Amino acid sequence: MSYEIRNVNGAAVVALNGDVDLQTSPVVRQKLLESLEGNTKVVVDLSAVNYIDSSGVASLVEAFQVSRKKGASFALASVSSAAMRVLSLARLDKVFTIHPSVEAATAAQS
Amino acid sequence: MPKQAANSSAAEKPPETPPAQPDVHAGHDGERHTGRGVRDHLGLLAEMTREFTASSDYKTIVQSALARITTYMGAEAASLFLLSDSGEALVCSACYGPVDITGLNISANTGVVGRAVGMREGALVRDVAEREDFGAAVDAKTGFTTRSLLVAPLVIGSDCLGAIEVINRIGGDGLFDAEDLMLLETLAGAAALAISNFRLTHKIVQQERNQHELELAAEIQRNLLPQPTSRDFPLHGINIPARSVSGDFYDILPLPDGRIWFNVGDVSGKGMNAALLMAKTSSLFRCLAKSAEDPGQLLNAINNELCETNFHGMFVTMVGGLFHPGTGVLRLTNAGHEPPLHFDLRTERFISIPADAPPLGIAQDIAGPDGFPVTEIYLAGGMLYVFTDGLTEATTFGGGMLGIDGVRALIRDHAEEAPDLRLKSIAGAVKLPGQSLRDDLTLLVVEDMGIAPVGAKPPIDNKLSVEDGQIMRIRVPARPDRLKLIRSATEQASKYCDASESWTFDLKMAVDEACQNIVRHAYGNKAEGDIMIDYTREGDVLTVDIMDFAEPVDPDTIKPRNLSEVRPGGLGVHLIKSVCDDARFVPPPPGVGNLFKLTKRLPNKVS
Repeated sequence: MSYEIRNVNGAAVVALNGDVDLQTSPVVRQKLLESLEGNTKVVVDLSAVNYIDSSGVASLVEAFQVSRKKGASFALASVSSAAMRVLSLARLDKVFTIHPSVEAATAAQS
Repeated sequence: MPKQAANSSAAEKPPETPPAQPDVHAGHDGERHTGRGVRDHLGLLAEMTREFTASSDYKTIVQSALARITTYMGAEAASLFLLSDSGEALVCSACYGPVDITGLNISANTGVVGRAVGMREGALVRDVAEREDFGAAVDAKTGFTTRSLLVAPLVIGSDCLGAIEVINRIGGDGLFDAEDLMLLETLAGAAALAISNFRLTHKIVQQERNQHELELAAEIQRNLLPQPTSRDFPLHGINIPARSVSGDFYDILPLPDGRIWFNVGDVSGKGMNAALLMAKTSSLFRCLAKSAEDPGQLLNAINNELCETNFHGMFVTMVGGLFHPGTGVLRLTNAGHEPPLHFDLRTERFISIPADAPPLGIAQDIAGPDGFPVTEIYLAGGMLYVFTDGLTEATTFGGGMLGIDGVRALIRDHAEEAPDLRLKSIAGAVKLPGQSLRDDLTLLVVEDMGIAPVGAKPPIDNKLSVEDGQIMRIRVPARPDRLKLIRSATEQASKYCDASESWTFDLKMAVDEACQNIVRHAYGNKAEGDIMIDYTREGDVLTVDIMDFAEPVDPDTIKPRNLSEVRPGGLGVHLIKSVCDDARFVPPPPGVGNLFKLTKRLPNKVS
């Protein structure tokens, strides 16, 4: 798995690429929490995620909870079908704010 | 009380209130009886009856009754003789008068009292001086001089409990007459009734005490039986005592390595002594099984222990066995017990396993160095039923004995039911609710659940070889960085079955989550062991056997979490259960710590 963090319209956009599993989710968790420390708007781009397991989902949930405590904005964007399958099985597709694209997400946050 | 005053008071008072202490010392016989009529007698009777029913102290009441009778009849002394248990002697259990003869023992066949008891008839010896046959031995011992004597037997129905003897009238000529005897006989009737009531009450109290002790014993005995097992456990048992305590027992004892000891036993005889021998035998089994390797040696050890204690010719029949759920193989020893039945599901036939060892507790050191003979059975998805003769010899509702054919029919009839319910159904076929059985009934079933009953195969040799029908087996270290390999293998196995992309994704996720649990929980993130996975296709079902070599985990601790709660972690089991047709821990083969079996039906091909 690889990741890329860039700033779009004042939001930190964390793009994940590859498999988010037990091996890689600790890194994802760390990067999401770091982004929330320095930003009030965070978007996670899941378009290139081939696979995400329960530990990866747990990292997303934790970041979501931290953002709510901080009053920050946290959204998922461009969720791949693989990631969406897991999110919907976990019934989290109604919990997260999900946008069809990163642009739509940053536009909605501004 | 002064005689005259008492007499005048009796005359003055209204007749319905008789004097409490009627005086009998009237001047002469004629006056004595005319001055004290039926009402006075009834008064005394009423008074005595009241006393008999008011107190529970037997001795005090008898003593007081004798005092009343003595005073009322104007006598010098009175004594109560009761027949001994053997009926050969009469023993003075209470007396009133100047000399205490309590405890005096006289022959039940001779003398005035003995004859009265034997004939069930009152006796009057008006003047002892006129009777040559009067035995003066008692007088000689006590220094008392008997001049006149009345004896009335204590008769209840056809039984005689003993007699009341009244001695010497005070005043006048000092002699009794026939009317005195009639009066004494009436009073003796009331006394006999009272004594009989006391004895009955005492007996009931004693019986209630015994019943209470029996109930306590029964409760302790129930605690010696194992707790009911959960429905997916391979062994189940039921015990229904005929009385409050049972001579039957059974036990189920899982070992840490997954193997399970079991037994069904029947103590010869019933009641408390059988219950005590049952307690000893079941304790020995539980204790010795923990260190035993084989049922033949275990039952031999129990036999030798039992023989060291003398149980007065009682013995125990027992089937003891060790079942290995992972292989479906069990080894058992039948020591003089009703033959267990192996129900072979492939052929739907029964195989009976007769006793090839004698019952336990009869002869010490009769087995060879290897212990009692052992029978090894491969259940092949079938079941083994072990029961006591309380089942085969039970009376059916039709009236006949159930017999072994009846047992087989019941097992077939209820084969589809869950095991715990099945045992209840079988027992229920011979026991109506609220009715007690003739004999204790115990029934135990061992089920081979690890191997599918349809097309059952021979035991898998340690799961080390790849079976026919298997797609592949992988074995990788249980580390997070190997999960990707496992996902990749799972994808390949799924593609091998021509499954769709989404079907493949779901299976991959389920296997990944299961392996993740092994890495994190079974091995505790220590990366100290391997994960071994078998992918097998049978028809349109893909089975994934995920094995680890860690300590067995308690499946109850692994449950899907409540999804209404949004929090990180705990999702894995939910994801697995959501996408698989079945996912559960099953008994692992030897050498394997845990076996988690995923089953997922392949979708119908869409053209």
